[in-house]
Amino acid sequence: MSHNPSQLLPSELIDRCIGSKIWVIMKGDKELVGTLRGFDVYVNMVLEDVTEYEITAEGRRITKLDQILLNGNNIAILVPGGSPDPE
Amino acid sequence: MSSGGEKAASGGGGSVKTPADFLKSIRGRPVVVKLNSGVDYRGILACLDGYMNIAMEQTEEYVNGQLKNKYGDAFIRGNNVLYISTSKRTLAEGA
Repeated sequence: MSHNPSQLLPSELIDRCIGSKIWVIMKGDKELVGTLRGFDVYVNMVLEDVTEYEITAEGRRITKLDQILLNGNNIAILVPGGSPDPE
Repeated sequence: MSSGGEKAASGGGGSVKTPADFLKSIRGRPVVVKLNSGVDYRGILACLDGYMNIAMEQTEEYVNGQLKNKYGDAFIRGNNVLYISTSKRTLAEGA
């Protein structure tokens, strides 16, 4: 049993992303990329300069948003550093 | 759901804005509220709480980006809310 001194809680990992770009993948065909301003215990998030991607049958619908409070309910995955996709 | 504000504040920097801070800052401002169904509501945010229950004025209902309805006052139950956005929005169709 090796004990890991650098044990990191998931919430601490998100905390380190505050102020930087983050890629949010929702349940269903929706993704958002923006700068993380803060979050709470439910992982509701405040994001800034957000690009929202909705994948539909016709293609990708892109919405730009100034500042949002995103409900944590439908968040599936968080990726620090933003999307690898070019805009 | 009282939006436990202090949880994320371990950074201590002044730039941290928790959901609770955001809710405080946007009352009375024009907002876009998107529901999980994809429907958008644009209007003036009259009042809201930690459940994201929302009361709006001069509300316009947009379905697929098209104006479908107008309401003088509207209450939105928080469980339907995907996000609340400060108003500044452009739409574009991507490939």
